[in-house]
Amino acid sequence: MNRSAPRSIDQYLRQLREELAGADSALIQDALYDAEEYLRAEVAAHPEKSESDVLELIASTYGAPDEVASAYRDTEIKVKAAMATPRKEPHTALGRFFGVFLDPRAYTSLFFMLLALATGIIYFVLAVAGLSLSAGFSVLIIGVPFFLMFMAVCRVVSLAEGRLIEAMTGVRMPRRPVYQGAALGFWARIGEMLRDRRTWSTIAYLVLMLPIGIIYFVIAVAGLSVSLSLIVLPIATVIAQAGWFGVGGIEAFSDAQPAWAFHTGFGIPVLGLAGLLLLTSLMHLARGIGRLHALFAKTMLVARSAPSAPEAAESGAPLAA
Amino acid sequence: MDDSNERKFQKELNGGLVGLVLLAVLAESDEDLYGYEIAKRLANANEGTSIFKEGTIYPVLRALSAGNLLTSRIVPSYSGPPRRYYRITEQGRGVLAEWKLIWASTRDFVDRFTEIQNSEIGHSS
Repeated sequence: MNRSAPRSIDQYLRQLREELAGADSALIQDALYDAEEYLRAEVAAHPEKSESDVLELIASTYGAPDEVASAYRDTEIKVKAAMATPRKEPHTALGRFFGVFLDPRAYTSLFFMLLALATGIIYFVLAVAGLSLSAGFSVLIIGVPFFLMFMAVCRVVSLAEGRLIEAMTGVRMPRRPVYQGAALGFWARIGEMLRDRRTWSTIAYLVLMLPIGIIYFVIAVAGLSVSLSLIVLPIATVIAQAGWFGVGGIEAFSDAQPAWAFHTGFGIPVLGLAGLLLLTSLMHLARGIGRLHALFAKTMLVARSAPSAPEAAESGAPLAA
Repeated sequence: MDDSNERKFQKELNGGLVGLVLLAVLAESDEDLYGYEIAKRLANANEGTSIFKEGTIYPVLRALSAGNLLTSRIVPSYSGPPRRYYRITEQGRGVLAEWKLIWASTRDFVDRFTEIQNSEIGHSS
């Protein structure tokens, strides 16, 4: 790139962000984090030199922004290829439909839906309690420190939620927190935080996770219980009719189930088949919801991939996206 | 033109070597190390200039960590963002032993053909 060499950490990070434009937003967050760790350590290690003197040599040690950007892109592609287990895609429509049972993502997404109720309650309580206490404390001396603590907890929780979502759905989420520039003053950082769209979208996400979690949980529990009981029905009927259980026999079932299913012999396997179809559809639904939710979480929890150029130049803040 | 060819060749070579070197550095170290420290150790071992750009070791560290060859923990820092300290795992040591053997045999094999120009190589590095 024939651009002027960066003369400050902020400039370097901005150029790195531009070089990575279009890459996954989670990868950008990680790359900026790593670069900032290195650059700040390098500046701190040479107290006798100015920041711009240190940055002058950075292209030969850490690497120019374009070199570093391509290293991240390359490594990401290689790691992704190495980690992904090649899966044979079934060719027939029927194979594709039932193939969902071989996809670990479908199971983990279903598990995520069940878990979402619990995490949703925790997030909701955290966000509502944090916000209302911050508002209440704002007139007191502890107001500002309490709000900062609340924001710190929110960031940790959003990183953890991202890791959970990546584990469950396989969508890339950040592995490092966003680091706010240390160069800014205390009040400037608070102001930056309040203006930051991500601060509010993170809190909104934490609140929204309760209703969303309830919906996911209900879908998962209702779908699982109906489909599994339909699948078990023919087996249970056979066992009961054979008298292996001997506990009340068929009567116990015939009260609870539609009578036609038992009077006409073929009704029972039909119900079982319906259960199997329902379970398969549920797995597809879970996988789809997992993917959609990961996209939703990414928009809410991860900074946009790049701020528009004039905005970045005006604010001069390295990571204020 | 020549310069970019050299760099391209070096980059191709580094592909797998960075991981090997990082594992070796961490296996030798008694304490956990963070990215910057590792970068500086590599540079110091080679009279101040590392063969590969230090910015390229971070993604590799992360990849090794994702493959369970390294474990890591986060420690706050005064100079910048919290640092991630890495330590080699038992699995990492096993992989390192294998990679060392592969590297030794590869080096011997290549040397067999390039040894004639050995003095030139020593001169240019």
